[in-house]
Amino acid sequence: MSANNTYDAIVVGSGISGGWAAKELTEKGLKTLMLERGRNIEHIKDYVNANKAPWEFEHRGGRTQKMIEDHPVLKRDYVLTEVNEDYWVNEKESPYVEEKPFDWFRGYHVGGRSLMWGRQSYRWHDSDFEANLKDGVAVDWPIRYADLAPWYSYVEKFAGISGNRDGVPILPDGDFMPAMDMNIVEKDVSARLKAYYKGNRHMIIGRTANITVPHEGRTNCQYRNKCWLGCPFGAYFSTQSATLPAATKTGNLTLRPWSIVTKVLYDKDTKKAKGVEVLDAETNKTYEYYAKVIFLNASTINTAWILQNSATDIWPDGLGSSSGQLGHNLMDHHLGVGASGIVEGYEDKYTFGRRANGIYIPRYRNLDGDKRDYIRGFGYQGGAGRERWSRDIPELNLGGEFKDALGEPGGWTMGIGGFGETLPYHDNRVYLDKTKKDKWGLPVPVINAVIKDNETKMRIDMANDAKEMLEAAGVKNVNIYNTEAVLGKGIHEMGTARMGRDPKSSVLNGWNQVWDAQNVFVTDGAAMTSAACQNPSLTYMALTARAANHAVEELKKGNI
Amino acid sequence: MDRRTVIKNLALVIGGAALLPSCLHETGKASIALKKINVSADQEKFLADVAETIIPKTTTPGAKDLSLHLFVLKMVDDCFSKNDQDAFMSGLDKLKADAETRFGKSFGEASQAQRESLLNELEKKQAENQKAQGKNAKKPADADDRLTFYGITKGETIYGYTNSKYFMTKEIVYELVPGRYNPDYPAKNFKATLKHGLS
Repeated sequence: MSANNTYDAIVVGSGISGGWAAKELTEKGLKTLMLERGRNIEHIKDYVNANKAPWEFEHRGGRTQKMIEDHPVLKRDYVLTEVNEDYWVNEKESPYVEEKPFDWFRGYHVGGRSLMWGRQSYRWHDSDFEANLKDGVAVDWPIRYADLAPWYSYVEKFAGISGNRDGVPILPDGDFMPAMDMNIVEKDVSARLKAYYKGNRHMIIGRTANITVPHEGRTNCQYRNKCWLGCPFGAYFSTQSATLPAATKTGNLTLRPWSIVTKVLYDKDTKKAKGVEVLDAETNKTYEYYAKVIFLNASTINTAWILQNSATDIWPDGLGSSSGQLGHNLMDHHLGVGASGIVEGYEDKYTFGRRANGIYIPRYRNLDGDKRDYIRGFGYQGGAGRERWSRDIPELNLGGEFKDALGEPGGWTMGIGGFGETLPYHDNRVYLDKTKKDKWGLPVPVINAVIKDNETKMRIDMANDAKEMLEAAGVKNVNIYNTEAVLGKGIHEMGTARMGRDPKSSVLNGWNQVWDAQNVFVTDGAAMTSAACQNPSLTYMALTARAANHAVEELKKGNI
Repeated sequence: MDRRTVIKNLALVIGGAALLPSCLHETGKASIALKKINVSADQEKFLADVAETIIPKTTTPGAKDLSLHLFVLKMVDDCFSKNDQDAFMSGLDKLKADAETRFGKSFGEASQAQRESLLNELEKKQAENQKAQGKNAKKPADADDRLTFYGITKGETIYGYTNSKYFMTKEIVYELVPGRYNPDYPAKNFKATLKHGLS
């Protein structure tokens, strides 16, 4: 072992959870190597489009035929635009196999998807951790809300989450910064919903990882709503704005971009991992790095991929596969169903500033005595806004008056879209395709995951409830939309190396340690035992901080 | 460095997009560099006149002032499929010929009223098609290339207009860094003219 290649800890991946792992481990004194498969993106300096005005983009933000050709997956959704095309994976270099359609949106660069994430940040409720046990689905979570609550506080305080302490029982309040405001229409809709449902349904302002007051050397949100270009103010939580500077400050961090981790090096004598193998993405040379502790934060599907490619001489299906669960139970939130309509009046009202946030309607189904023909539930995200100009001026199609009308504000609209819980199904899975190779000659992942009966039934409620609520709140001409549910579109992949109480039925223990190699920790979405319906990133942060703390304690005790 | 190179470099410096001035092109060709579609100066002029009819110069700038027709060409060249590009070009030629037959002169030489009436006919046909399609989804849309040409031209002209520097800074209020969010903002302040001038 070369001293140059030896660290106390290795973190694989530099996104939301990898950044947290690096911060926690370095702050606790561990010399840490953070490996990132893609290029570096330096905070502010490399946000090349962040300060462009809309008219400075060659196609004004549109998508070209070349972009469509280059991104056969990304083109399926709104995320493919001219403004941040470079933040998305090169799909030709890194293909995957879809046995069933699965939209896999990846960011292969330092910061990962923390640069482009939606930033909605919600705690889970105790009932979310109890749900599998209560319903007899999959396996029980090995932890409860009480285990995670202090870690939620810990990560909220550092990341900076703005929101109200709304006191909605199903959605625990956190340590928040001042909330962003609802606009005038949203306020009224929220009040009408509360009255109509007698306080049993709530529409609150989104809780978002955009800071509303200066914090940790970062500038508060400037209401540009250009977050996914990278924020020159560091106003939303990302690896670059928050965890990476903290980790760097310790002097204990080494960041190595262009480093594709191909496997965890497993030592069968010690029954622990001794390091990782890295393929340099630029030179194609192979390196080994060694450490006492390894955190896998490569994102749900790639973390499973690394494990499945590791220690195959001992376990043919890879490190952590002894339970038969590695790569299985892939989840996402199913979405693409909701409703929208027009709001009459408020013609003298507008908004100023571009709020990078919307409203949230927390789950209410299958709670407090409500019983549906499916289990679990869904929440909604959405908002009200005023169109910039009215598209429906009869008989005014062109000419001078038409031109002037383009500069007038249009009508108000309000829409909400559901985020539904997907159950962990054993046959929703990822595995390695040994025949098809990527640019570096590595096997590509095969994804096979679909929604089933429970989700299909839930979607009927997601559509009808949206219409009912909007109409109850006075929204007119309400139209339901219910698109085909393709997993992956939620960009909330979870579950491929689940936590559990028993090594026979789970990949990780209650501290996110791989049962089969206890100095390997998995704290990204792969660890999730169920999906709940809240956006999951805040939970990854809390799990990571908790696991890193445990890892260091175990190291000190000599247990790993 | 000769003059052409200077101009080329200048264009690269300014925009990267390189809407190159016409002096760099052989006579009869479009005034900007296009990769996929082949557009003559004559066709470009017709397109400019159509765009100008949609967004005419009044007391405020029109499509030609803002080079919106060049934006339309840029978008058609880069962002549309081969089928759409072909239909766009063929529709352009047909409509151009229609105008000459009907008015006995080019579209650009016709009066604003004449030009509007021709385009409004297309608007009407488009609306009828949409209505028919709404009733019976299986019924194929009228595959008139003129409608494809006009639909793309109108859509991109408006997109170019409402995203132009002129519109976003002089017609409405746009700040790159608003710095604050006002959830209850008087709608009358939406207009740049009112905010900065009259009110």
